[in-house]
Formats: sequence, structure tokens, C-alpha cells
Amino acid sequence: MKALLSIYRPRFVVAVVYMLQSEEYRAGRYLAWLWRTRDFSRVMIRRQLILTKPARLLLRSLQAGMAVEYVVSLLLVYVAWHHQAWGGVILALILMAATPVIWAHLIVAPLIAGRWFVIKPRQWGKVRQAERIFANHSGAKIAIAGSYGKTTMKEILAIVLGEGHKVAATSGNKNVPISHASFARKLSGDEDILIIEYGEGAPGDVSRFARITHPNMGIITGLAPAHLDKYKSVAAAGEDIFSLADYLGGKDVYVNSDSHALESFIKPEYVTYSSKKVGGWSISKVNNTLEGLSFTMKRQGKTIEVDCAMVGKHLVGPIALAVYFADEMGMSEDQIKEAVSHLKPYEHRMQPYQLNGAWIIDDSYNGNIEGMKAGLAMLKELKATRKIYVTPGLVDQGPEEKPVHLALGEAIKKANPDKVVLMKHSVTDYILEGLNGYGGELIIEDSPLDFYTHLDKSVAAGDLVLMQNDWPDQYN
Amino acid sequence: MKTIAVIFGGCSTEHDVSVITALASVIKPLEMTKRYKVVAVYIAKDGSWYCSERLKDIKLYQSGRLDEFLAREPKVKLDINGGFGLIRPGKLGGKSLHVDLVFPAMHGTHGEDGELMGLLEMANVPYVGCGVAASAVAMDKVLAKKVVEAGGKIKSTPWTWFYDYDLTHSTKNVMAAINKLEYPLFVKPAHLGSSIGISRIEKESELMNALEVAAHYDNKILVEQGVENLVEVTLPIMGNDELVLAQLEQPLTKPEDFFDFDTKYMQGGKKGKGTKGAQGYSQIPADLPKELYKKAQDVGLGVYLALGCSGIARVDMLVDTKAGNVYFNEVNPFPGGLYAHNWAKQGISNVELVQKLVEFAEERFAKRGKYETVFSTNYLKQF
Repeated sequence: MKALLSIYRPRFVVAVVYMLQSEEYRAGRYLAWLWRTRDFSRVMIRRQLILTKPARLLLRSLQAGMAVEYVVSLLLVYVAWHHQAWGGVILALILMAATPVIWAHLIVAPLIAGRWFVIKPRQWGKVRQAERIFANHSGAKIAIAGSYGKTTMKEILAIVLGEGHKVAATSGNKNVPISHASFARKLSGDEDILIIEYGEGAPGDVSRFARITHPNMGIITGLAPAHLDKYKSVAAAGEDIFSLADYLGGKDVYVNSDSHALESFIKPEYVTYSSKKVGGWSISKVNNTLEGLSFTMKRQGKTIEVDCAMVGKHLVGPIALAVYFADEMGMSEDQIKEAVSHLKPYEHRMQPYQLNGAWIIDDSYNGNIEGMKAGLAMLKELKATRKIYVTPGLVDQGPEEKPVHLALGEAIKKANPDKVVLMKHSVTDYILEGLNGYGGELIIEDSPLDFYTHLDKSVAAGDLVLMQNDWPDQYN
Repeated sequence: MKTIAVIFGGCSTEHDVSVITALASVIKPLEMTKRYKVVAVYIAKDGSWYCSERLKDIKLYQSGRLDEFLAREPKVKLDINGGFGLIRPGKLGGKSLHVDLVFPAMHGTHGEDGELMGLLEMANVPYVGCGVAASAVAMDKVLAKKVVEAGGKIKSTPWTWFYDYDLTHSTKNVMAAINKLEYPLFVKPAHLGSSIGISRIEKESELMNALEVAAHYDNKILVEQGVENLVEVTLPIMGNDELVLAQLEQPLTKPEDFFDFDTKYMQGGKKGKGTKGAQGYSQIPADLPKELYKKAQDVGLGVYLALGCSGIARVDMLVDTKAGNVYFNEVNPFPGGLYAHNWAKQGISNVELVQKLVEFAEERFAKRGKYETVFSTNYLKQF
């Protein structure tokens, strides 16, 4: 009842605009949230609405529209009552009761109209302009696609190749055509290398990105269940990702063979990279600790010792590929070593830090099962007095939701931490099913934010805590 | 699910420290155990008792609207018949709440000094921390020194004491006793903690002012001789029979900047190297030679046992590093913030710490229940 009544709270309007803002005003995702949510009083947990100009406009429009509907409904009740038209009274009351629901839907109309009649045409212009910039750019254009590991691969490449070349890379995880267009406009034209990340989300995305950015090299980082609401199957996502290889005609395509789901897509003409080898280089003496990662690369009498502050064996392949590229592009051994030494953990991606004497590995940007398994393998490997694993599970797994979380539960059981903290969500039961037979301490946490805020109170010297993924408010 | 009442605040100069201890180091970690229903029981500075969920929120105290809130809140009544209960008055007859265990988070007078523990003993409810006698003795620095020194093994630096009455009526005697000590001297109110009212004096001309400051806070005044080549250390200890030691902790202050309230709680330890209030001003473990470290641990344990402490306490000691002597300084029967930062270094998280303290309380209560308290006679019939 409390949840049902939450649509009549004054904060409901703010929650609606907050979620529109969180979903970057995308009607489809907003409506999916609206239809999924039961209790609107528990929406703004992590952040608050930022009153930007569009947000303020939407807020005022919603408030005004709802106020008008309430007044009209009341007038209708009065008139119907006066004329003893009881059916009309009931109808007016229903109209009044439905006001928040009606306006929560009506508000997307101007967004859809604005997107199709204002934003899209403007964006198409910018993308067409970007397409010309990319086509005429003389630098090497490396496209990076995959369900996971794209941003990390891009950052590693940019740092390593940047030591010997002028490199430009798309920023953060800005990886859709409009951000590619924005990236293109900022190019000076004299860059040696462009690194462009592709953020696929629906069938056809990757080939479209390739047509816009004209890559001459492609890296495929991995395949795992992601965006299955649109792709429907992992195989379909794989087909889309490998359209990059098709665009390149199979030439200069680099594929991560550590990602088992990619195996069936690999063709002989592709170059594979992994934690064991890359393009004729063999990799040995891998040493992974919380202080950093080191390994040795050898090819035809040439040896490169790699040593950096990044953490996680799953990074051996991407770093080795960057070293391979650097070598192929004529960088000296000293330049490569120097460049690699600058690699550091990225925020929220296998980022270790100390708290109260405990080691915390913040992997809260990890959003795919392969990455989760890699982190869990590391948790199992490292030594600690007490190991703690924290996760809410994964989002956007579509029809794979159950098998993925069963697999996650099994992977957790295999890593055998002393304590598992699951942030309570819709997938918790699946993880628990996979965890069946786990003998350690198990905690189901109702308030994730509270747990994260007070993490210092539950850890002590000797503890090793791995925190994987974090669900934004949209999924609560 | 058991109900634990955390009692904090109180009519004490350390009222504010108690609020921080309760909210940050006791209530939240207890809730994080997911094993207890935690009730916040706040004693206002005027001695009134309140119980409300909102009292768990630090923003209420920071907002400056606490008095306004308390004016609207009903004061709770205590029921100590057959346990410890809280009665929240209301228009429909009020609401009573049975409490299974009490976690006193009080500092200073009327809370840490055994008064509250006496009430809880009468209510026959298990409670966390030292009992009545240990709390009362520990919170009287003079009594604590007498009890500890009576064993003959542990020493304090030379010291003397007197009542504030003596200061005005037998000044000569007081001065004669003090003159037997060597400067620098420390003048302390005998019953206060958190270094309130303490002065460090270098010469006689500063003495009277320091004595007057101490007498402003307490009727019993302690004067101690300073220690040369000083390293000040503190040792948190927990347990009833089997004791667990935290690490020896060394405040990072120069001897002339002794560890006063301002340094401990207000400046974030800026006189030392730390940055985080009471948790950032010290070095853990203390920088002492192995032998002296062990000696300090033994002295700490000896003091804990001599005073009959249970649950948790913290023993402060003064170490003359050249002479290799460890002197007993004082005992805190309820350390500020539980010294959770130190226990964390020892591998015990704040959540585990409060859990252990609850278990110690239950263990002591169960043990006490084994003793016979009723003795049948026909004395009354014969009277």
C-alpha cells in the first residue's frame, strides 16, 4: 500500500525527472524503469536531481500539467455531482487518481518529439561531418569493440603508444556516434594514431560505427552477455561485434583469445592475443600482486620485462597487445618499458586501496560475467587473513539473467571467500542458487549504500575485500 | 532478535564525545551485525532521558536544532522491575520496550564512573563494559593509583592529591606536598577524562592557576610529577577472564604539547601527524624497543586485572625510555570511540568489536547468575 501511495507524494514528480535525467532523457529506458518500479519513494538513493535547464523545464511542466488535471477533475466531480451523474463522478475520480501515472507517461511525448525533430537531425549533421574527418585523417585508426574491457584496452593503448607517438583517443566511455563526432571535431589532423571505442548496444551498431570512423585496425576485447534486451542472444552480440572484422576484410584484426566466447568467431587471418602469447611473442613469469603486475615477453631473442601498477592477470593480454603494437610501430625497448611503467589502475576497475589496514579492490565498474570471474580468480589466488566478496550481481542480462547469475554464484563458491555480501536485488536468488553448498558467512544486505558508506566499520587489518559491480538507482 | 539499548550523552563534560562514540562506533556497527534491534537512548545535558530513531542521526546534533527536537519529544521513563524497560509516554497509554542488553556509551561523570552500572545491576540486565566497582575506581585517578600500587608491582610517577577544600583551607600543607615533586608537573581533576581540565606546568608561578582550573571541574585534585625521556602509550584491552590486547599506541605529540582535549578531538591531531580526529593522532604500534613494549603490555594487563575491569578498558602509561621504566598513568573504563581504529589494526573490525563486547557482557551476566543471591533463614519469624 505504501508503495502504491508513493505516486501521490510530492517527491514523485522529482523522482520522475531524476530518472529521466539519469537515463539521459531516453524515453525507452525511462519507460522501462517506470513500469518496473513499484515504490517511488525509494528512487533517489545515490544521487539527487541536478536542476539543469531541461530538468527544471520538465519539472515545471509536470507540476503544471498535473495541477491542471487535478483542477479539471475536481470541476468534473462537482459538475457530475450537481447533475447526479454518478458515472461521471466515478470517471472524474478515476481521472484524478490516475493523474501521476498519466503525466509520468505524457512527459515522454515532448522528449520523443524533440529527439526526432531537433536532436537527431542536428546529430546526423555532426556525424556526417565526423565521417568526412575520419575518412580524410591520415593517422592509423584503431577501433576497439567488445562486450567488456574496451575502455581499459583503449586507456592502456593510449598510454603505451603515447610514449612514442601523437595519440588521440575517445574520452572515458564516450563510445557512440555523437561522442565520436565530438572527438572528430577536436582532432588537429596531425595525430599519428586515433583510438576509437565502440559502445555497441543493439544489432547493427558496430558496422554503423565502422562506416562512420573508417578504422584500419580493429581490436575485439571480449564477448559476454550484455545488452541482451536488444541483442536477445550472446551469439547475436558476437555477430555484431565481429562486423568490425568484416569491415576490415579480416586484416589487422586482433582478438582476445582469453575470452572463450570469442573462440567460435576467430578466423585464421586474425591475430590473437592472450595472457600466454601475442603475435609471435610468448609471455612468461606472470606475477600478479596487489602492488602490481609484471611479466616477461620474448620473441626471437628479444626480451621485454613488463612491470606496472595495474592489478589482475586478465590485464596481461591487453598490456601485451599494447607492447606488441608499440614494437610494431617502431618504439624502442626503453620507450616501451617507460610507457608501461606509467600504467596504473583506473578508478573503480580492479583498483586496490587500503582502508583500516585492509586491502579493498574496487572493481565496481565491472559489469560482465567474464570480468567478475577474473576478479574472483584473483581473490582466490591472493593471500589474506580473511577474504570478503561483495556484489549486487549484473544488470542488463536479458534472457541470460538466470544462467549468468547461477554461474556467478558458482564462481564465488569456487573462489571460496570467508564472507560473501550480496546486495539484495532481483537476481540475488539466482546467485544464492549458484552458491548452494558454500560454507562461509553469507550476508544479504538490504541497503547497499549504507554498507558502502560504512565499509570502514566492517573491515580490519588482514582483510581482503573484492567489490564487484554497483547498481545505479535505475535498477533498484 | 535481541534489543540493545545504547545509552549515551549524559550530564558530563564529555557529553559530546559520548554522542560521537555512540553514533559512530557503537550504534552503526551494532546495526551492521544484523543481529540486534538497536535503540538509541540519549541522556540530555539536563539529565532527561529520550529514546527515538532520530537520535541516531548525527545531523540532528550538528543542526543546532537538538533542543527544539527534544522539546517536542516525550521523556522516557525507566522500568527496572524484572529487567530493563523503557516506557515512552503517549496519549494512548504509552509504549513500553523491553531491553535485553544495555550498551553504555557514556564518558565521564554520571555514566562512565559506575553510577549507570549500578542502575543496570539493580535492573538485572546484562551490560557492556566494566562493572560498578571497576568503573568507580578507574574514574577516580587517585583511587586507581592507590589500588594499582597496593599490589606492589606497578608504579606511578611521584604524585600527591587533595580536595579543593584543602586548597583554600590548608594551602600550606598542599604546597608542601607539591614541593616534594619535581617540575614539570601535571595537574588534573581526579574524575574527568578526555584530558579536560588538565594543565602541564613548568614552574611554580603557573601552579596556582593550574590548581584553580582543576578545582573548577572537580573536588579532588591530583598533581603528578612528569617523566623524563617520555613516551606516552596507551593499551586497549578487552575480555572478562581471557584477555585480548590491542596494539600499544603512541600519541604523536611533543612533551610540551601534551595530549589535551583540543588535540584529541578538535584539531584532528594536528599537533601530531594524524589527520582524522581522535583516530589520526597516534602511531600504532608504539615505537618502543621490544623489551619495553612487552613490559608496557604486562603493566597494562596488571592494571586491568588489579582494578577488576571487564568487557573493555584502556590503560594509559608513561614510559621513561632511557631508564626503561613503565609507569601507570590512568585507566579509561570506556575508551572514546572504543579505540576501534586500534582494534582494526589488530584485525578486529568495529562490527566484530561491538559483537565481542556484547558477548562478553552476556558471558559475565550468565556467570553472575550462577551465584546464589538468596539465603533462607527464619530470622524474621523469630524477630
